[in-house]
Amino acid sequence: MLRTLLALALAAAPAVTVARAAGELRFTLRSDPKTFNPLLVEEEPSETIRYLTGGVLIRLNRYTQELEGELASKWKVSENGRRIDFELRRNLQFSDGTPFTCEDVAFTVRQLMDPALHSPTGDAFRSAPGEVETKCTGPASAMARFPGPVAALAAQFDQVAVLSAHSAHKEAAVLGPFVVADYKPGSYVLLRRNPNYWKRDANGRQLPYLDSIRLEIQQNRELELLRFRRGELDIVNRLDPEMYDRLSKDLPHSVVDAGPSLDMELVFFNQVSSAPLPDYKRRWFRSTEFRRAISEAIHRDDLVRIVYRGHARPAVGPVSAANHFWLNAALKPPVYEPSGTLARLQRDGFHRAGDSLVDRDGHKVEFSMISNAGNKLHERMLALIQQDLAKLGIQLNVVTLDFPSLIERISRSFNYESVLMALTNVGLDPNDQMNIWLSSAANHQWNPNQKAPETPWEAEIDKLMQAQTASQDANKRKGYFDKVQQIVSEQAPMIFLVNPDALSAVSANLKNVTPALLHPQIFWNAERLSVGTGLVSQK
Amino acid sequence: MFSLAGHSRRAGRGAAQSVATLQGRAAPIALVLRHLRRILLTVLLGGLLGATLVRLGPGFGVDERDLDQRLGTESRAAIRSEHAADNNIALFYLRYLSGLVRGDLGFSKSLNRPVAELLKERLPLTLVSLAYGVLGGLGIGFALALVTVMWRAPASDVLTAILSGLCLAVPAAVIALVFLWMGAPGRWAIALVVFPHVYRYAKNLLVSTYQLPHVLAARAKGLSSLRVLFAHVVLPAAPQLAALAGISVSLAFGASIPIEVISDTPGVGQLAWRAALDRDLPLLVNITILVALLTLVVNTLADLALAARRPAE
Repeated sequence: MLRTLLALALAAAPAVTVARAAGELRFTLRSDPKTFNPLLVEEEPSETIRYLTGGVLIRLNRYTQELEGELASKWKVSENGRRIDFELRRNLQFSDGTPFTCEDVAFTVRQLMDPALHSPTGDAFRSAPGEVETKCTGPASAMARFPGPVAALAAQFDQVAVLSAHSAHKEAAVLGPFVVADYKPGSYVLLRRNPNYWKRDANGRQLPYLDSIRLEIQQNRELELLRFRRGELDIVNRLDPEMYDRLSKDLPHSVVDAGPSLDMELVFFNQVSSAPLPDYKRRWFRSTEFRRAISEAIHRDDLVRIVYRGHARPAVGPVSAANHFWLNAALKPPVYEPSGTLARLQRDGFHRAGDSLVDRDGHKVEFSMISNAGNKLHERMLALIQQDLAKLGIQLNVVTLDFPSLIERISRSFNYESVLMALTNVGLDPNDQMNIWLSSAANHQWNPNQKAPETPWEAEIDKLMQAQTASQDANKRKGYFDKVQQIVSEQAPMIFLVNPDALSAVSANLKNVTPALLHPQIFWNAERLSVGTGLVSQK
Repeated sequence: MFSLAGHSRRAGRGAAQSVATLQGRAAPIALVLRHLRRILLTVLLGGLLGATLVRLGPGFGVDERDLDQRLGTESRAAIRSEHAADNNIALFYLRYLSGLVRGDLGFSKSLNRPVAELLKERLPLTLVSLAYGVLGGLGIGFALALVTVMWRAPASDVLTAILSGLCLAVPAAVIALVFLWMGAPGRWAIALVVFPHVYRYAKNLLVSTYQLPHVLAARAKGLSSLRVLFAHVVLPAAPQLAALAGISVSLAFGASIPIEVISDTPGVGQLAWRAALDRDLPLLVNITILVALLTLVVNTLADLALAARRPAE
């Protein structure tokens, strides 16, 4: 109600004309960045700043999904994924003029792997206990040897911004296209072009084209949209479908639907042995037939059509269609067929008793599904799932909780029955999902931290994931991970519902935009973006 | 002009009498000290109760990073141990108080910043908003109460009652939306939240004071209505009206939370909202103490003014 009022109020709000600096790109961050140290980045605002300011050795091209040399002109992975050698570009400088050398690479890797730092980026390299060995192997070459094989080792360096070993400015000295010039907490972060940025365009002009980027700290999405309409912002990232449709009516050329993103919406049941659940409910949740029946009972096309207004795709499994290489193309989304679903449930001892579904012991099938409060997409999905399950005689009780309470229930107290939540994938490689699929992992969310796999299929997934991480042959790894996707599809420990599309809005003032599926979808090529100048007023 | 001069003369006399009375009383300093002791105890107790409520609330001590797939076992354990340090609320509070003595307000884990820095950045904005809101609310409320009492016309009574009732019934968030729509600063929305409370209290006070014998006598003697109002109604009621300021401050701060969130104003209200969502114990305790302190100080000033005035009446 409040949101609707806000939207109405803002739609009728008077226009203002805003002066802005020429060559300045503006968009928003949802909150203050927690850190400017690129090694400690863990949330989106900090990640955005790292992406725009940090120079990396190897970059994953968000558009082609191929790795490209940045500070490293060449690299070679060896010793079964333990060692990587870089050949570095010469005569580069940090933003403060400090020369870039191989010592900076060695310094960065050592800092990254410092156990006391607890860097999420560093943890991705920590496949075995032990210390990293890193050193200069020549005037413009460096190597790093990790204690164990790291799958997709080169790709992991996309997240590692190189620090200066010698600069007095520490992490403020950067090798990326922009440098942090000003930060007013709660208001904005101002980035200015790095005068020492090494890249040039085809005509030899130094990049970036932009003079500055102003990142406004703005939590209120409706205000963000209003400011975009007024021309005060150039980009709106992660539009929700309703906003997208509203904007597409007024400014049809400004909206971008780049297709299904890596993100996914999913449901899982609590299968934790020690969870405070009645035994009969634990039996339901541990039954493959029950989980698959629930999966098949949810009409994904309705979720796409009604909740996402067509801006999503029914999910096939743990890999989105956006992930071109790793998707198991043989898998199809579960077919919605209530009669077949009931037959599946009957095979597992469930039957109809009047309007209700009961199990073989006569317990009425009723369970709760928790989700995060305030997420209107989740609230609408829950309503549709509730209707779908009611057709089978299952009573679904919807409970929305604030996020800390939800996390507490699914990761500490295990006091829940089922949950609907979003999974944000940060990378393309299956190695990024290790902590989800290994039965011993904390993010094996339906039954985490198992001492030994509790089911044969989880043991099989463990083996396959270990095999794929140990191999350096991409095709072999794909074979292993295809099998993992197939097992997940058959066992349905997580019921994948939809992959929302990557929706954004881009001002007509912004040039050289090539929207990509991967984050950051619009400004992934920030050094090549340019904007119009002067006073802007669109309304 | 005449009545204003009369008012200022009376006010001056009143103040002089009050000072004389305070000086003449056995323990005016003891009164102040008693109030200070009360403030200190209430603030400390309020901080402890606030901390206990947060500690016992669902979701305390969990971290969104628990769901970060990239984190290894050791990093996860380190995050949990960070939060475990706050599990014992008595120890937390003792640590907090000992830090407070040294000027250390603690560290916000959710925002990764020292609390003192966060408050220093955001407090001025909120204090200005509160000042606008409280003074605006007091001004509007008192002015409307005066209009109602002076005119004694049913129409003005009904109109002001509808206006104040509307502002009382409409949530602060909706008032903020209207201000957003008008492009008006959110700080004035706070005034609209505060004014109905002031209006009702001030109106009742003025009506009852008008019925006091000395007012009736003054009117019977033929004093002008303005002189009766300012010299014999408003002046005696001033301390009780001042007492409204304390309540208004806490009301205004409560309203500033949704208003700052909706208008994306980087003040303490927005900070309180974030802190509550993130179960950020040090931040919430400091904000609780700050609001309690602000409210109590204003209340105490009003009490002292009342105490100083009382013997003169």
